[in-house]
Amino acid sequence: MAGYDRFDILTGCALLVCGLSLAILLVSGQKENSTAVAIDKAIEQQIAYQARIDFLHRLYQPVEALRAQGQSSSALLKLDELARRYPQEAHGQILQGEILLERGVVAESINHFVRAVRLNGDYVDKLSPLSRRKEIQQLVNLQLPLFLARAHKKPQNLALQNTLTGLYYLQSRLAGGCE
Amino acid sequence: MNLFDRQNLLVIAAGLSLGTLGVLLVLWGNPQNSGICVSCFLENSAGALGLHDNPRMQYLRPELIGFVLGAAAAALLGREFKSRGGSAPLPRLFSGIFLIVGCAVFIGCPIKMFLRFIAGDLTTLTGIIGLVGGVWLGLKGLAAGVHFGGSKRESAAAGIWVPLGFLLLLAFILWPPGFLLHSTRGSAAQAAPILVALAVGLFLGVLAQRSRFCVTGSIRDGLLMGHRAPLLWGFLAFLTSGFLASLATGQFHPGFYGQPGAHLDLLWSFLGMLLVGLISVLIGGCPFRQLIKSGEGDADAGLVVIGMFIGAGLVQSWQIAGTTAGVSLYGKVAVMVGLIFIFGNMLLYRERLD
Repeated sequence: MAGYDRFDILTGCALLVCGLSLAILLVSGQKENSTAVAIDKAIEQQIAYQARIDFLHRLYQPVEALRAQGQSSSALLKLDELARRYPQEAHGQILQGEILLERGVVAESINHFVRAVRLNGDYVDKLSPLSRRKEIQQLVNLQLPLFLARAHKKPQNLALQNTLTGLYYLQSRLAGGCE
Repeated sequence: MNLFDRQNLLVIAAGLSLGTLGVLLVLWGNPQNSGICVSCFLENSAGALGLHDNPRMQYLRPELIGFVLGAAAAALLGREFKSRGGSAPLPRLFSGIFLIVGCAVFIGCPIKMFLRFIAGDLTTLTGIIGLVGGVWLGLKGLAAGVHFGGSKRESAAAGIWVPLGFLLLLAFILWPPGFLLHSTRGSAAQAAPILVALAVGLFLGVLAQRSRFCVTGSIRDGLLMGHRAPLLWGFLAFLTSGFLASLATGQFHPGFYGQPGAHLDLLWSFLGMLLVGLISVLIGGCPFRQLIKSGEGDADAGLVVIGMFIGAGLVQSWQIAGTTAGVSLYGKVAVMVGLIFIFGNMLLYRERLD
């Protein structure tokens, strides 16, 4: 062939063979189960998440039981004990926030919700099984105007300013957007 | 300047489309104020490909693929597909990484920054000042002779690899392989329907290629030429259409607090965007423009895109990315390293008249 030497022809043939092999590999690979390893990766991610949720439910079950019996002080003590073993676990913070809110300790409760959401965004996520979005939305809607009015009256009060910053943070997380 | 010149009309059409579709994509499912965000899309896509392990940020965004393939198709049809490259490859690769560092610390690319602004997010103001400041500094650098060196025409093969890579990513969307990850919660779980997102991406890719629309380019030309700069008119069309679309769809919520995907570390928003503006001027375009140029066969821009992908994985893995809670120490350090990198390169790549 004019313009092509042996090197061109051999390289072209190698290219053709590799291309055909790739096509065969892709077609036959779909029929056989050659993607099994890759599929495991996606499933493993889901299993790990589900296992984490089950673990959290089991870990905090005694706290939930004490809450159900109306023993909120004991539930808080149990949460303190668990927090020493799992200091970075957001679920304990959420439960502590809920119990404190039930007892009317609003500012401290807000701080716990903020810590929980900072550690794990799942709590403001509509799609997560851990979601507390509705409760946090209610908390922000109710408390933001109240704390705003209080902070205006006492602008020097740092604790009030901190709680207000926390409420703004929760409001921002509820508004969505990229993370 | 004739506003009704064909090229000006194309630029204005690109701006109008970007603003309107950027807001509409939120209605169709994308995260709030993130209808179009090149850096967020890259972080999502890097996660989907396994480049980071944040399970809330993994989704191969079809818009991103549409931008590059739309630009490639438009360039091929318009006979503008030219393979070129060879200008300071490693600095460009690292520039791509630091572009994403700056964007991630701010939470969004320049397009998203203005989409956030026209939706009423006032925390973006320092970012806007930072971006304009960065573009201005970059212009001062160019005027002083800072230049990464001209690109050369290369063999036709050099420029096709990035478009081919994105064609492979398109195949991953159409026939998802088992290793592709997809978040079931978090912002990456919020997405417009695949075909809609892909169509919008292709449309904007074609328009951006034909018009050369670029956010930092518009600011640069505005600073240089004032109201005579066609890109500035496109940019104003982008802001106006986005603002009107935000108002019409009830997404305009002016305020400083409680904004979606925003933080109050204003100094770091400023510095992050300063870094983005400065790098963008020196390498010839914002992250969006780099994607479009890589689709036209520009291998230099292709290297920036690869750098952006690497950066997208790193900002998530190394907790560099800013969150609503603020910017981490790692993020602050990364921005400072980025600024040292770019100022150092400005000294090293300065052509001096001896």
